[in-house]
This record gives sequence, C-alpha cells and structure tokens, in this order.
Amino acid sequence: MDDTLVQEKNTATATDEEVVIRIEHLKKSFGDNEVLKDINLELHKGENIVVLGRSGQGKSVTIQCIAGLLEPDEGKLEVLGKEVRELSSEELKEMRMKLGFLFQSGALYDSMTVRENLAFPLTRVLKMTDEAEIEKRVTDVLASVGLEDAIDKLPSDLSGGMRKRVGLARTLIMRPAIMLYDEPTTGLDPITSREISELIIQLQEKYETSSIIITHDMNCARIVADRIVVMNDGKYIATGTYDELANSPDELINNFFK
Amino acid sequence: MASALTSTFNRYMELVGDQVVFTGRFAKNIFRGGFEWGEFVRQCFIVGYLSVGLVGITGFIIGFVLTLQTQPTLKEFGAESYVPGMVSISIIREIGPVIIALICAGKIASSIGAELGSMKVTEQIDAMEVSAANPVQYLVVTRILACTIMVPLLTIMADALAMAGGWVGVNVQDNVSATLFFRKSFAALEFSDVVPSVVKTFFFGYAIGFVGCYKGYHSSRGTESVGRAANSAVVSASLWIILIDAVAVQITNLIYY
Repeated sequence: MDDTLVQEKNTATATDEEVVIRIEHLKKSFGDNEVLKDINLELHKGENIVVLGRSGQGKSVTIQCIAGLLEPDEGKLEVLGKEVRELSSEELKEMRMKLGFLFQSGALYDSMTVRENLAFPLTRVLKMTDEAEIEKRVTDVLASVGLEDAIDKLPSDLSGGMRKRVGLARTLIMRPAIMLYDEPTTGLDPITSREISELIIQLQEKYETSSIIITHDMNCARIVADRIVVMNDGKYIATGTYDELANSPDELINNFFK
Repeated sequence: MASALTSTFNRYMELVGDQVVFTGRFAKNIFRGGFEWGEFVRQCFIVGYLSVGLVGITGFIIGFVLTLQTQPTLKEFGAESYVPGMVSISIIREIGPVIIALICAGKIASSIGAELGSMKVTEQIDAMEVSAANPVQYLVVTRILACTIMVPLLTIMADALAMAGGWVGVNVQDNVSATLFFRKSFAALEFSDVVPSVVKTFFFGYAIGFVGCYKGYHSSRGTESVGRAANSAVVSASLWIILIDAVAVQITNLIYY
C-alpha cells in the first residue's frame, strides 16, 4: 500500500455511525495495581482504531475485557449493543461468535494441523458436519491470507509471519463483525510486518469488519488506522488520525511518532 | 501471626472452592451435547496404550522382586506353599493399584499438567474460549475420563504381569509349574480382595486426570509456571492417591469385615 492510499484511508472517516463497541468509564485492577483507570471509547462499524501506548499500560487488558476473558471492575462495556458484563454464558458465546481475536503469538493449537486449526471453530461452534463445506471454507480463508500450501502443516513448521496469518484465518473463518488484534506485527521483520498490516486492510474490506488494533509498530498504525487512540496511565489521553497525532504539540504523544 | 494464618486459611479455602467449581464444570460438560469422541479416543491411546510398556515392566518386576524377597523367609518356616497366595493378595489388594497409580501420577498427571499449562501460557485455551468453543469439554472432560477408564485397565494388566513375575521369581530357586502357581494364587483370593481394589483404581484415575487438568488449566502466565504446573500435578496427585487409598481401606473394612 503506497502513501497516497494510506492518506486516503486515514482521511476517510467511518461513514456508518453505528457503534459496535461502546466503552464508558471502564476500570480494571489486579490486586492493588489499577491498570485501567477510566477508559472511554467508541468503535464504529467499518472503522479501524489503533491503540498506542507504552508496555504495561493495559492495552491488551482492554481488549481482553471486550472479549469477556477478563471481567472489568466498573464501567459500561457494550459490544454490538449488549452489555458484556450482563450476558449469560449462552449470550456470551453468541457474542464471541461475532468477535475475532488475533493473539500476539497466533495461539494456534499446536497438536493440530493448519486444516484442523481452521476447522476447529466450524465443527465445534457452528456444528458444521458437511466435510465438503468445511474444506471449502478452510481453503477459501487460507487463500485469503495467501497460505494455501500450508494446509497440512503443523504450527511448529510455520514461521512467525505464517503463524499470524493462520491465526488471522482461524478468526476470519467465523466471519466476525469485529476483530481485535493484539500486537499483530510484534516479533516480525519489517517486510512481513508491512505484509500483515496490508493484509489486515484487505481482509477488513473483504469481510467488512470493524477492528481495534493494539500495536507499537508505527508503520502498522500508519497503514491500518482510521483513528488512533493514545493510552497512558490507564486512560486514553488523545485521539485523532495518524497525521493529527504525528503533529501533536504534546511531547508524550509526539514521542510515539519520532 | 494471626493475620498470616487467616490469609493462609483464606487461600486454602479459595483453592478448595476453585476445585469444587472446576469439578462442577467438568461434570456439567460430560453430559452437554457434542461429546469429543475423537479427542477422548486419542487421550485413551496416550494415557493407556503409551503407558503399557512402563506399567507392564513395573508390574512384572514388582511381582518378581516381592517373591524373591519373601520366599526365603517363608521357606524358613516351611511355609513356601503360601508364596503364591501371599504374592497375589499383596499385589491385587494394595501394591499393584497404589504403585501403578503413583507411576501414572508421575507419567500422566505431569504430562497433562505441562500440556495444558503450556496451552494456557501460549494463549491457546484463551483462543478456544474467545472463539466460543468449549475448552473444558475438549480438553478437560476427555482427559479426566480417559484417565478414569485407562488407569484401572493398566492396573489390571500390571497385576496380571506381577503374578507372572511372581511365578518367574519362584522358579529362580525352585521348580513350580505355572498351573500350580496360578491355581494357588487364585485360590487365596476372594471377591472382597478384587472388587474394592478395582473400584479404587477408578478414583485413582479420576484424581490423576483431575489434578493434571486443574493444575495445567490454572497455571499462571510465564514459562516457569508450566514446570510448576507439571511438578505440583505429580505431588498433588500422589498425595490424593495415598489419601484415597486410606479412605478406601476403611470403607472396604466396614463393608466386608
């Protein structure tokens, strides 16, 4: 993706104002350690928000709360119009079916081949039994991430970038409405990082997802972000496009863009 | 001092509560639709078939050594003919089930603890949860049930091989036919020797599977916790085996004697 395209992407705000995630005054502590102090955020349909912040600021904790992996202490957390904290286990399951989560490590099931990894949510969650249909969805989504040849490989035979792609394919196979990315380019070389960032954009367009992307990689942020949110000391302290924040007079914000 | 005791007590109660909740999740998921037959069979293969060699050799040697150790003493009293009965009763009632369960605790509980611990650390369990799949049904139910079924079968096999080891042991110094040895062995056994010892092995198997899964599933983040999960799985499972054995003896005595 060249710089003109990036510019166009950054200036294009979400036309659809439907809010898919609404967070108000979210707080989360671990013992005496108050990680999230007052988080407020709205993710609109079709929008990509990048969350920037130094390590240990609670960026991953925020998306883990959204996915229901952690329970917040206080605040409002709505996903697709439903308050996550009030969901029954069945409702939480339904909500998770519309949510994709790409873990930092890829989190592939290491005793299964790529095919089995991708078929896992189809057979267990969607209860699909038609082998031909499962195979078609697996090969289609693998083609989307450019890894058709890796279908019978084990995760241990894949490189870091390939693992991320397969992890991405495994979440996309469920056709989620919202994607949560936890540092999708960490640990990858610059070329692969760029490929993954571009893939995120392509797949967002293809599957029409809304995304929250946690990253430290400014190139990734530049490529994927419609809007960037900067996090510090358990709060979101600034929001804007890449260019707006890059020219911010605030030194703390500006430091991320140097 | 008092606050330290209170905090230890609270931690202990939290642990007990946590294990009760985990047991509830396990029990609920056994009967939920979509039982993972494929994974269950795979776990039976890993827990059972892949332990046959270790358990078989151990069983045979226990019988062999037990015979060699007791034969000279009984010979002194002219009670050599009691060797088969003594070996069979000791093996079937106590030594076989407990030793085999302890070996399985070392081999299986540690392996399950390390496997699930590693899956926890690498976020594979979180990935299952967040994809709306059921990690308890896939990982926990299959492993605990596989252990509950395979440990008794392994024990029965080990008991049989221990008896064979006993016969070989007797024949190191004397010449006793297999028919005579096994006839005398089985003649010494009663219903009350066999049934309780088989029943308790199901509980041993359950304890091994449960402790392995619980420790692995609840390991904290970081690679160090994988080792800790494996280690504490072996220690806790071994302790549970000894405790279950003590309770089983009391219950057996109450019922039969």
